[in-house]
Amino acid sequence: MKTVIKTTDLSKVYTETAVPVHALKNVNIEFKEGEFTAIVGPSGSGKTTFLNVIGGLDKPTGGHVVIDGVDIATMKESKLFDFRMRHIGFVFQAYNLIPVLTAIENVSFIMLLQNRPKAEMENRAKEMLEQVGLSDKLDVRPSKLSGGQQQRVAVARALASKPDFVLADEPTANLDTESAFNLLDIMAKLNKEENITLIFSTHDHRVIERARRVITLVDGAVASDEHFERAER
Amino acid sequence: MKLILTLAWRNLWRKKRRTLISVSSVLFAVILAISLMSLIEGTREQMIESLISNTTGHLQVQDALYHDEPSMDHSLEYGEEVKRALEKYSGRIEYTVPRIQGFCLASKEMGSRGVYTMGIVPEKEEKMNGLVSRLTEGEMFSDDDNFAVIAEGVASLLELSVGDTIVLIGQGFQGVTAAGKYRVGGIVEFPLPEQNNTMVFLPLKEAQWFFAAPDRLSSLLLMTENENTAAETALKLMNELDEEWYAVKTWEELMPDAVAALEARDAQVKIFAWVLYIVAGFGIFGTIITMIHERLREFGILLSIGLKRAQLSVICMLETIFMSFLGVIGGIAIGYPLMLWFNKNPIQLKDDLADVMLDMGFEPVMPFSVAPDIFIYQGITIFIISLVIGLYPARKVFRLDMVSAARK
Ligand SMILES: Nc1ncnc2c1ncn2[C@@H]1O[C@H](COP(=O)(O)OP(=O)(O)OP(=O)(O)O)[C@@H](O)[C@H]1O
Ligand SMILES: [Mg+2]
Repeated sequence: MKTVIKTTDLSKVYTETAVPVHALKNVNIEFKEGEFTAIVGPSGSGKTTFLNVIGGLDKPTGGHVVIDGVDIATMKESKLFDFRMRHIGFVFQAYNLIPVLTAIENVSFIMLLQNRPKAEMENRAKEMLEQVGLSDKLDVRPSKLSGGQQQRVAVARALASKPDFVLADEPTANLDTESAFNLLDIMAKLNKEENITLIFSTHDHRVIERARRVITLVDGAVASDEHFERAER
Repeated sequence: MKLILTLAWRNLWRKKRRTLISVSSVLFAVILAISLMSLIEGTREQMIESLISNTTGHLQVQDALYHDEPSMDHSLEYGEEVKRALEKYSGRIEYTVPRIQGFCLASKEMGSRGVYTMGIVPEKEEKMNGLVSRLTEGEMFSDDDNFAVIAEGVASLLELSVGDTIVLIGQGFQGVTAAGKYRVGGIVEFPLPEQNNTMVFLPLKEAQWFFAAPDRLSSLLLMTENENTAAETALKLMNELDEEWYAVKTWEELMPDAVAALEARDAQVKIFAWVLYIVAGFGIFGTIITMIHERLREFGILLSIGLKRAQLSVICMLETIFMSFLGVIGGIAIGYPLMLWFNKNPIQLKDDLADVMLDMGFEPVMPFSVAPDIFIYQGITIFIISLVIGLYPARKVFRLDMVSAARK
């Protein structure tokens, strides 16, 4: 299987603090195409930092992040913006959506930035909203959607432009149990159907079992990296 | 681009209260600037108008040498050439005020005193500066009378009252001694001591006879439509007149000291205006800063998912431009009728302040000007200021750290 992301000796030290914080310590991980991975670990173990660095939102202080044969650790900021927009999908913990755009406009947003043809864009956005079970909410603004629905729109947006992989930092943290499972099920389903690599971080033991690979970080280092065979749901 | 416009436009209407606050901050700045400048400009207009009507008039036709050496020998021959020139531009001239004047010694048994004797046409003076209404005792002469009307200060210094006789001695045309004895028929009161302590009025004809200068004037005052057209009219008139004999002077040339004082005042006003702009600018800045901080996370997410910093900056700029524009238009829309109202129904000053104004020869009101420049200039200035302030969010976007912004 094709390698989507490969990190070598990835490290990140925050030096703005009184005592430097080693948030990542020589992390070497490879993600293959189509994987569905959970990053777990105690609070402060470096999950967010790891996702930010491999997503090109933050610069590592050492090591490499190679995506599609390109090392983004040394890429210029102006190039990174474009690279992120074309290759990486993001889902954040909350407030993902653009408040002034409707659900379908939010899902189309990245494709709009990519200048995709209008018809293709609309079809794809509708298809994605259907996939996340929101085909009746196309023209609704985020403020009229529940927290779980908003996260589903965010997932639809992240996947709509068919990025190489999608990063989701604690996407279920603000959701009740039912919505959290529902979101993870949708993510698992899309991971299969669209064959998009999905990496999400979580605290939440309830949802870890949905992942097929679980990487545990402790104090910024990989403590374990396990693969599971999951029954289809 | 369409996406950017859509986002900017919808952002404006998303938080209506927030937009309203920003628009109002611009709007109030505009109204504040307009009101103050309208008052300042109104005062200036009032000062100029009062100066012009109480002293020089808009223009004066004089003998070519009179301005440098104002003597009776340099008086103006008010003949055909002057009349023809005035006739040609009668459309530009509202009315003329002829005067003949000179220093004299005024005496009664008690003593004597230097006075300024001026031959006038009472109706014209009344029209120009309300002289007749300044009468406190007696009556104003008409053209064919031959009594004098004196200022109240002269009357008290020489202990003269209505019915007494005043003796005037001065120098007439071509060195002739001017001397005359006149009954005091009326007393007028001036607010300014320079006038109140020196003026003695005679009917024009009588004064010409007194100065041995029939058909001559010291100067012929011209009142034009307003002070702005005066200089142009002066040039046109001069084209009709022989430079060797005649001069047409504008109020600015006739009152260089007053013009300098006005310029000094304008410089002060400029400083004051900048203080005002800085205060208004900080007001607008405050609202914009609060707005930006409310939106940092939103910006962080937009930048994370692929919107470029330049695109987000443009969105911020568009929002600012639109809100400033709305604020400026609104400010003028409210400010103009407001100033117009105060212009037509001036605020009356009371008590001490009113007395001071009256003493200086002004009407005791707060004069508001409605000159279009004020509205255009203040509107544009505040618009530019708010645009410059609007650069702050755009700049902030360029420096925003996405990771920490999206995390908050
Ligand atoms: N901007 C920063 N400046 C300084 N230290 C930071 C910064 N961001 C994170 N850290 C520190 O780096 C370490 C890793 O933080 P990180 O947010 O990646 O952990 P996490 O696993 O995502 O935690 P959580 O589960 O609470 O979200 C922590 O000790 C944190 O305090
Ligand atoms: Mg985290």
